[in-house]
Parts: sequence; structure tokens; C-alpha cells
Amino acid sequence: MTVISRGWGRLTLPGKLVFTLVPLLLAVTVGLVAAIVLLGAPLVAVLTDNLPIVRFVVAVTIVLLMTIPTAFLIIYMEMKIIALMNLRIGPDRVGPFGSLLSVVHGLKVLMKEDFTPTGADATVFTWAPVVVYLASVMTLLVIPFAPGLYGQDMNIGLLYFFAISGLGVVGLLMGGWSSYNKYSLLGGLRSAAQVISYEIPLTLSVVGVILLAGTMSLNAIVENQSGWFTDWYVFQQPLGALIFFIAATAEANRTPFDLTEADSEIVAGFATEYSGMRFGFFFFAEYVNVFIMSALTVTLFFGGWNAPFPWPFETGVAIDLASLGIGLLLLVAIAPVALTLLFAAPFWIASTRLKGWHALIIGFVLANLFIVGLLGAWAYVELDWVAGILWFMLKTYVFVFIFVWMRGTLPRVRIDQLMDFAWKWLMELAFLNIFITAAAIIIVEQLRS
Amino acid sequence: MDRALKARLESRFGDDLRGPVRQRHDQTEIRIGPGAVTQVLASLHDEPSFRFEFLADLAGVDTGEVMQVVYHLWSDTTPDWLRVIADGLSRDDPRVPSVTFLWKGAEWMEREAYDMFGITFEGNRDLRRIYMPPDYTSFPLRKDFFLPDDAARSPGAGVRPMERTHAPRNAPATATVRRSGA
Amino acid sequence: MTTTSHHDAPLGPGVSGSSDDPRVALDRDLGVFEPVPPYPPRTEREAEFYTLADGQLLINMGPQHPSTHGVLRVVLKLDGERVVDLDPVLGYLHRGVEKLCENADYHHVISQVDPLEYVSSLFNEWAPVMAFEQLLDVQVPRRAEYIRVLSGELNRIASHSLFLGWMALDLGGLTPILWSFIERDEIVELLASLTGQRMLFNYFRIGGVNGDLNHDFMSRLGDWMGRATEQIDAGMSLLNENEIFVRRMRDLGTIDTAQALRMCFSGPNLRATGVPFDVRRAHPYSVYPELDFDIPTRAEGDSLARYLLRMDEVRQSLRIIDQCLHQMPDGPIMAKVPRLLRPRPGRAYAAVEAPRGQYATYAISDGTHQPFRMRIHDPSFIHLQAVGPLMEGHLIADTMAIMASLDPIMGGVDK
Repeated sequence: MTVISRGWGRLTLPGKLVFTLVPLLLAVTVGLVAAIVLLGAPLVAVLTDNLPIVRFVVAVTIVLLMTIPTAFLIIYMEMKIIALMNLRIGPDRVGPFGSLLSVVHGLKVLMKEDFTPTGADATVFTWAPVVVYLASVMTLLVIPFAPGLYGQDMNIGLLYFFAISGLGVVGLLMGGWSSYNKYSLLGGLRSAAQVISYEIPLTLSVVGVILLAGTMSLNAIVENQSGWFTDWYVFQQPLGALIFFIAATAEANRTPFDLTEADSEIVAGFATEYSGMRFGFFFFAEYVNVFIMSALTVTLFFGGWNAPFPWPFETGVAIDLASLGIGLLLLVAIAPVALTLLFAAPFWIASTRLKGWHALIIGFVLANLFIVGLLGAWAYVELDWVAGILWFMLKTYVFVFIFVWMRGTLPRVRIDQLMDFAWKWLMELAFLNIFITAAAIIIVEQLRS
Repeated sequence: MDRALKARLESRFGDDLRGPVRQRHDQTEIRIGPGAVTQVLASLHDEPSFRFEFLADLAGVDTGEVMQVVYHLWSDTTPDWLRVIADGLSRDDPRVPSVTFLWKGAEWMEREAYDMFGITFEGNRDLRRIYMPPDYTSFPLRKDFFLPDDAARSPGAGVRPMERTHAPRNAPATATVRRSGA
Repeated sequence: MTTTSHHDAPLGPGVSGSSDDPRVALDRDLGVFEPVPPYPPRTEREAEFYTLADGQLLINMGPQHPSTHGVLRVVLKLDGERVVDLDPVLGYLHRGVEKLCENADYHHVISQVDPLEYVSSLFNEWAPVMAFEQLLDVQVPRRAEYIRVLSGELNRIASHSLFLGWMALDLGGLTPILWSFIERDEIVELLASLTGQRMLFNYFRIGGVNGDLNHDFMSRLGDWMGRATEQIDAGMSLLNENEIFVRRMRDLGTIDTAQALRMCFSGPNLRATGVPFDVRRAHPYSVYPELDFDIPTRAEGDSLARYLLRMDEVRQSLRIIDQCLHQMPDGPIMAKVPRLLRPRPGRAYAAVEAPRGQYATYAISDGTHQPFRMRIHDPSFIHLQAVGPLMEGHLIADTMAIMASLDPIMGGVDK
């Protein structure tokens, strides 16, 4: 054994790496191959038998993974847009226009020291951010991003949504209570009071939509809004949409209802004692919440993944690629060259300054853009999920922008004004909305019959 | 310089004044003893011919021999500032009645005078130090205050316990939150 | 560890455990800070404050806190979310300016006194300079007086724009502070081209001012005056018509005239209660008697009134600047004053209308080249006292709002 240890001591660092990693990789590869050979067929059989479960698992994994880039994007949007509203520049060093800054923030948060303050209840302290994050992310299960692109289509989808997002309160209270800090306690209690108060107008305001659609399934609600944009429920439920948006702002703890994290009053509220990735979880959860609330507004009131107007033309790109035969090869070989020359020609002719190969480069780039554009247009027309996701994301990010806009412009309300507003105004208006909607439905039915 | 004001002050407070009413530029100055402070300032505040309702400043002064408390007042009956000097406070135990019964805003100004000079304002409900730490043992603006020696005697010298990250120091037994029985 | 500190030894009788901030008591088991003094209460008020009834708790704000206007520690006594009482703890920024001035030449006092209310430095210099001029019987040339008024009013506008930004920031609005900093930056650049400094100007001298108006300053001033009104209106429009902002500030920290006079208020805080007391009119100094301007007054006495009043004052300041520019006389900018000043023994009191209130100096000279006593009366110090009584029954969120509306600057509070 001393031979080995002496030999090991004489190796340089790269040598050590090679001698550890290569055997490890070999072992892993052999193990995998053996597993696939031995268990592969039965495994695939099991998976294909339980396709819905597999689909569910894949969908949930994708959704969970997608929350992180979404949060990064929304954080960057907030920093940049508020900066521009403040007549500043905002992030502009890390990446083009500072777009990679939130990624760097995420890495930084991972690298910070994770500690538990003395006196804090360690278990509750550790699990609070997890509860908050899960409550936000689990609601993404039911949101339809495009026709066929959803985690699960439950016929009580909306009820599931509100039930799960209400669990976030538990997380906030856990965080505030377990921190052994008076500021956190105040922040946690404030936020619990706020979220609970605004749950009622939130849920009541969508009862009108449920009455109109006849179902709580989000997928069905979106399908009911297909057609022209005048079919969107916002035109049939303007009051409901407004109440929902205001209550959603309060649920998401965004300005003007952001007392829980009012950093000019109680430092960081319930998150005062958190640092590192635990704080990162709270932070992410908030931005995912913003995304969810926007997504739900869009789903319920603004047509979900429907385009504002139905595609007027009947398209069928009736090209059977197999019938082209060798012509396909020629097409794939010749088309890019031809397009490059085609796009380069005007530049070469028109300008004497540009040399031939400059024009060719421009032509190449333009040709690529053209091909991608064509493919994109074909995808949009042919594959309905591409069009769906495009419109859904566009509309959702419009609402995210509105959330960010409100943060940049409005001051905060006070806790008693906030509670007043929820209990004395929004709840009554939501009830009124339900009565009017129900009455209108009955009247319209009577008129029709 | 308001001569009429001088006449009014001399006729009203003749006995209490220690020395003539002095006037220079736009200020009128009277000197009184510490015992007369309550009565003189209350009269200046309340009486309709004076109505000095605005207390502009309350300062302590250490002249080297005696201590003084200087009040500056303003009234819309006269264009002058009125300076009332409560003169003759001993340097060992300077005491003067507090004017917080007239002006609540004098509370902190009196605290500052106490903190800087050691002047005790009788009747001030909150006469503790305001700038210096509560355990400071000297009065900085006095003329017999020598900074380096005094700082060395202060318990704050040396290693500051706030910067120690390990065991908490021994707090005295009185360090608890007082709760009333109610 | 073999090092022992004298703090590990038992404390002797009558000596309280001190540290940087002895108003804390360490919970022996957990090292948690309870903001209670480690000695029995020494005054009535201390006893009243640090005795908690059922359900009350003490919470400590500061000295590091995002929105106490400087280094201020405030102990709040809370009953749930309501603030029952409030005890500010000062002294974190105490620099001993009064003692330093006793050991400084009369000319050096100006540099010492600049960083008191650092946002409005020129007024900090104005009052001592006026007091020394009284002691020396120096007549300041008229051109110098007009320049003093001009730069002072510019500083007033800068200070009030900063107030607008801070007020909004403490209420949660992120945008107005940045917009008001644009305005303040322009004014501060103006004053830099006049005085050479952006913030602690060191510009006034005993007998006049340091430098004359120059071409750069005048042209920039002309440009700025053309834009000033609409810039101010843009900044104000963000807040005045904002329902949330107005509702937060209305009826907040209301104080009536009698109470304000009892609390020795001055400046915009007093004028917002209805008393038209302005040192520039009540006790005119410099060339204010020759200038035509109004004293805005409001009667409500709440935070909204204080905010709107300061904005009205900004407009009046613009009027004054305009008149100064038109009426600027020619002449010297400094009186003949010797280098080493030895005034006759005497006392002088001079007060100016600073953006925060009445800022005054009581100077005693004993015939030597250093002031014998240089007492500085600061308006922020007085106004901060009132936060406690005004907080009765309000919520924590309002602490910041009320403090911001009274506009204290901790440099002046702590001297």
C-alpha cells in the first residue's frame, strides 16, 4: 500500500484527476449499460403502460425547472424597468444590457453563508422557505400554457389553485415566528393578515367567470374564450377582472401592498433573519408568484393562449417531403446558397464601399434569419402549441410589466388602510359582481327561450 | 433696540433683575437669579403686555466662575429678541427650576444643558443624558473638562464588548424588562 | 484563551455595565438584545417608558436602519401594531461641535459648523457669521448680502427637494427620490460653480462671502431657472395626485398651534399649523425687508400640510431668487475684516430661517481670538422631540412617515 501512496504523492494535480475520474466514469458507464441492457425493455414497457403518470412527472419536472429562468427574467425586468422609470440606467455591465445580472445574483445567493440565528426554531426556520416556494410553484400545475401544454387538467383546477396558493401563508408565518426576532414576527403577522384578508375578494371575484364558463377547469375556461378578443371574459366581467387584479397584487405581496417586505419600516419583515439560499427561496417564490398571478389573470380574463383574432386562412402546407426524393437533398444543399446570394446581391450592387465578401456575410445572416422566420411562421400556423405559448407568454409578461410598473410608481398603503380596503370595499364589490353576473345569465337565458 | 421694552421690563421685574437691562443691536438682555426663573418666565409667557410665547433657545453657559442658563424668547409685541440670563448658579451644584411646565419642547434642551454642564433642572421629568452615554462620568462643555484624561477614566475605554463575538458578558442582575403588575 | 478583559470581572457596586450602547440587556442564555437599560430607571419618564403593561413589547429601530434620517436609535413601545410610546436615543453622530468651536479661531468656526445640517449648509454658516458680525460691529456690503440670500434660497430649494424624495421613499415610492435628486444635483452643481463645493460649502465669511458671482454660475442659473418650475411640478405631480400617498399623509401626526408653540416648533412645521412665524419676516435680517415674498401657511397641521407647505416655499424661493438677480447691486463682496479677530467681550444672538426652522447661534466672546461659548440652536433637535407625543395611537408604518414629515437631519440633532 505504501507503493500506491508514494506513487500517488508523486502525481501532479491533473494526474490525480485523471486517475480518479477515469475509473469512476468507466464504472458508471459499465453500470449504466448493464442496467439498460438488463432492465431496459421491462422499464420501457412499464413506462408506456403508465403513460399519463410519465407525462405528469415530465410535465412537473419541466415546470419546476422553468420557474428558475422565469424568476431570473422577472427579477431582471424589475431592476431594469424600475431603473428606467427612475431615469437611471439599471444593470448594464453583466451581459448585454445587464441581462445576466440576476443569474449572477442567483449564484451569489447560493454561495452565501447559511446560518440559523440562536434561539430560532431550526426545523421550522429551515422549512419555511420551502413551504412558501412549493406553494407558489405547485400552482403552476394547472395553468394551461398552450393547447395540450399543461401539467394536469383537473375539473376543479381553479379551486386547487386557490387552495394551494393559500398555503403560502403558513410558510410566511413559519418564517416570521421561528426567527426569534420581533421584526420578523411583526412582518409575518402583517403578511398573514394581509394574505388572508385578500383571499376572499380573490376567490369571490372569479366566481363570475366560473358561472359564465360553467366549470372550474382552467383548460375549459380558456377554450371558452377562443375566437375574437371580444370573447375574452374581461369584457363580460370587467369588475371581476379589476377586483381580481387588485387582490392578486395583495396576494403576491407587491407594491402598493408590500408591507411585509417594507424595507423602510421593518427591514425585511419576515425574511429579516434569512440569508443565503433560504432567502433566495423567499425571493424566488415572490417572483414566481408574480408570474403565476399574471398567468392566472391572463387565463381567466384575457383568453389564455388564444390569439386576439382567429387565423383567417385555412392553411395546409401540403408538401409531402418524402415525394421529393433526391430533390430534397438538392433543396437543402442549394437553398441556403441561393438565398445568401439573393440577399447579398442588393448590398453588393448598391454600395461601392462594401466588398464582395462583406455582402456575402450580410447575405448569409439575412438568409438564416429568413429561413428561421419561415420555419417559425410554419410552426405558428401548423403547430397550435407554438402559437398558444407565444400568445400566452406575451400576455402574461404584459401583466408582469404592469406589476413592475406599479412597484416603480406607487407608494405603500398602511396595514389598517389595507384591511379596510379588503373588507369594506373589495369583498362587497365582489359579492355585487356575483349577483349581477348571475342575474344577467338568468335574464339572457330567459330572453333566449 | 426697543427702549419701550426696556422700560416695561424694568418696571415689572425691577426687584428680580440683577443689573441693568442691556440692549445691543436687536437684543435685550436681563439677568435674574435662579430662584426667580419660574416666576419671571411664567410672567413673560402669560402676561398680555409681554406674551413671550416662543422659546427660541435654552442654553447653558460656564463662565469659569459661575454657571448660567440663558433663555432666548420672542414675542410679536416687540421686534427685539429677549435674552433672560439666569445667573449665579454655583459650579459645584448648579440647580435651576425647569421651564417644561411652560414649554414641553424645553425638555431636550434642558437635557442637553445637563449633559454638557451638569446643571440640574428641577421639575424636568426626563433629566438624563442625551448625547453622551448614560454612564459617562463628566460634563464635556465645562471649562474644567480635560478630554484625554476623562476618556481614560470612562468605562467605555479598552476593548468594546459589542465587538466580542463569543461569550456574553455578565449583565447585572437588574437587567430585566420591568413589567407593571397591571 | 488566556486573555482576560476587565469586562469578565464582576462589576463593582454602582457601576453599570457599559458598552457602546449600554441601553441593552443581554439575555444570558441566548444573547438576545432587549432594548432596556441595564440599570434601574433614573428618571420618571424612563420608568414610565420602560415599564411594560400586559401585551406590550419594546422594539428597537436603528441605529442602522434604512430610513431613520441618519444615525438615530428609536425604541418603540408597541401594543400589537400600534405605537404606544417612543423614545429616541441620540448621540450617535455627536461630534462636540460646540466644544470644538471654543478652540477654533472665529474664521475656523465656519468649517466646523458646516456639517451640522449638512443638507442645508449655507444656513449653518449664516447664523454664526451674523452673530460674529454683531460682535465685531461689521457692516456687510449689500452685494454680499444679496449673494447670501441668493445662494441661501437655492440651498433651500435643494433641501426641500430632498425632503420630497425622502418623504416618498419612507412611504414606499421608489421613483420620486430619484427625480428629486436630479433637481438637487443641478442645484448643487450650480452652487459648486459658485462656492467650489457641492455640499459643505464653506462659502460665507465674516463680513461677506468668499467669491463673487461668475459667468459660469450665472449662465447655469439662467438655464436652470427656465426649467425649474416645470421640474418641480413634475416631481410634485407624482405625489400630489396619488391617492395612496395623500391618504397615508392626511391626518397623520396632526399638531395644533398651541401644542406646536409649546413644543418650540419653528419653520415649516409651525407654519403648517397656522402660525405665520417666519424669522425672515418676524425678525428680518440681511436684505429680506427689501424683497417681496409671501409666507405660505396652512391650517391643518398634518403631514400632508407640512409637505404641501414646503412645496409652496419652493415657489416663494424661486420668486426671491428672481428678485435677487434683478436687484443685485454692484460693490464689494467682503468687508474689511482683519485676519485675526478679537472682538470686544459681549454676547450676540443671531437666528436665520433655515429650511427646517429657526437655526440660531448664541455667541459669547471674551476678547480673545477664540469664541468663549458658541451655542448652536438646531431646529431638527427640537422637532425630533415631538415625534413621541405625535405618535400616540398610530402604527409603526407611520413612525417613519411622521419623522420624515418633520424633516430632521441627524447631523443637526446630534451636533
